[in-house]
Amino acid sequence: MSEPTDPIDPFPTRAQPPVSPFPPLEEPTAADPPSDWIDAADAHDLPTRENALVALGRFAFPPAPPLDEEGEAARARRWTSQTVLVACVFLMIFNAGSVQNWARQQPPGWTQSTIDRLATVWVEQLALLGADQPVEGLRQLWREAQTLRFDGGRDKAAPDA
Amino acid sequence: MLFPTLAFAVFFLFVYLVSWSLDRENGRRKLFLLLASWFFYAQWDWRFVGLLIVSAVLNWGVAALIVRSDRAGRRKLWVGLGVAANLLILGFFKYYGFFVEQAVDLLAQFGWERDLPLLQVVLPVGISFFTFQGISYVVDVYRGKTAPAESLLDVMLLMSFFPHLVAGPIVRASDLLPQFARVPRLTREMATHGLLLIVWGLFKKAVIASELATRLVDPVSFDPAAYGAIDIAAAVYAYAVQIYCDFSAYSDMAIGVAALLGYSFPRNFDQPYRAASMQAFWRRWHISLSSWLRDYLYVPLGGGRKGLWSSCMNVMITMLLGGLWHGAAWTFVAWGALHGGAQVVERLGRALVKDRKVVPTWLGVLITFHVVCLGWILFRAETFDLAMQMLVGLGRFEGFSLLTPFVLALIVGGLAMHGLPPRAVEGLAERLKTAPSPTLGILIGLAILLVEAMRPEGVAPFIYFQF
Repeated sequence: MSEPTDPIDPFPTRAQPPVSPFPPLEEPTAADPPSDWIDAADAHDLPTRENALVALGRFAFPPAPPLDEEGEAARARRWTSQTVLVACVFLMIFNAGSVQNWARQQPPGWTQSTIDRLATVWVEQLALLGADQPVEGLRQLWREAQTLRFDGGRDKAAPDA
Repeated sequence: MLFPTLAFAVFFLFVYLVSWSLDRENGRRKLFLLLASWFFYAQWDWRFVGLLIVSAVLNWGVAALIVRSDRAGRRKLWVGLGVAANLLILGFFKYYGFFVEQAVDLLAQFGWERDLPLLQVVLPVGISFFTFQGISYVVDVYRGKTAPAESLLDVMLLMSFFPHLVAGPIVRASDLLPQFARVPRLTREMATHGLLLIVWGLFKKAVIASELATRLVDPVSFDPAAYGAIDIAAAVYAYAVQIYCDFSAYSDMAIGVAALLGYSFPRNFDQPYRAASMQAFWRRWHISLSSWLRDYLYVPLGGGRKGLWSSCMNVMITMLLGGLWHGAAWTFVAWGALHGGAQVVERLGRALVKDRKVVPTWLGVLITFHVVCLGWILFRAETFDLAMQMLVGLGRFEGFSLLTPFVLALIVGGLAMHGLPPRAVEGLAERLKTAPSPTLGILIGLAILLVEAMRPEGVAPFIYFQF
């Protein structure tokens, strides 16, 4: 009896799995389609159902198309003119004293006299209402600050007072 | 007609309404603005409107000749004649009396006493500004940096446009002529910025500059020998604040008024007392003049192209002539020499340390501010004698009589403006431009009312009107 030349391989590794005699259970499926998940999206961004009244309003009064350059410029001019007008009216009402001062520095005449009288009446009427108090109060504070000295005393009068 | 007066407000409202009602006809709009500008200028002296017209025709004609000349030599001749004619106008009105007096003194020293014809020449307001504008127009056309104006009307309006006419900024043709090509577009941002600049300028001029002038600077400058070191030092700092608040206020209001009419002017001040060197100071102070001197004087002299010593010499010449531009007096020349000398020292220092930073920024700011204040003593003084009295008085320690908490607060407040964010007004305009017009109108009205409550009676002319 001859001895075997190679030792018996106790754990054969080259063995192939036996081929199944049965067909595969499932057909291979196709890859998933790309995700439509948006990380940055917020639930509040999702479209909501428009209010019916709003939709009706939009239908009845459709918004104007965006303005062209000329339209934008005209709108800005209108806005600026309104701003200037409001500022002028505000100052005419509450700063009529300046008009009065200016009128008194002009050469005498019908126009000067008329402006002066109108301004004077208006200033007096505002004073009766007490509407000149905030400005007069500020002016008084300002003049007091002008007369204050480092030693705590006060000058008798400010130069322009 | 001064900006912070009711008369100007009425004039401007009229110009604003009419000019925008002519927005479909650019030619008529420009013609109206030109007539309004002449009316504005005539409030000082109507005779000098003729000078404005002559100056504009001269520069328009020279530019046209330059464009039509095909030979380089001829073009050079025309530009030379154009610059010389402008300087002749400026020299006659501004420096005639000064040079005749100097000539008489010089001749007397040689024992040759003569009575030279001394004329009492009235100085037209703003002549230094509009002649420099004319020169820049002619030279820019020669250099090909700007196209010649489409019409004489454009050149006339360029030189006469009332917002910049009497005290700058020196708006160059390359900035303004393209804007004249069509009716300008006003935007909310421009309008808000303009309104805020007007109110801010009004506050600086009518409250800070006027109060400091009447309460401290004028009395001390009139008789420095009567005051001690504290009052004089306070007056020097106060003048630094006063001249900044006065001149920058005019520039702000000019820029704001032009903006409301749809035109954009360049910035003229950029928080100058934040500068950490004299060179930086001149990039922040009266920018339209310093850039003019750089482009039309320093660079043609050779600039910094021929080495360190040459650049130092050119800076010195530029600053000396810049000083003389401010007024026909030796104190202004000395002021220019101080600024030129300080910049020469800086250049030499930088060359020595090879651009290494050896002086901390805060120290640079402090030194620069005090050199500038030293210059303001010369600038404010009517004579060298008074300037010397101010300097001597700084060593005379005794009690003070004019410095009060109120004046000190104004000085500190005026300097503290330099601590604001660099583009604070623009930033505020950006926020307010979306406000409804009634809201902004009331805010503007309130701000003007506050200024009215604080301002002293009457308005002194702007300091730079005399230049």
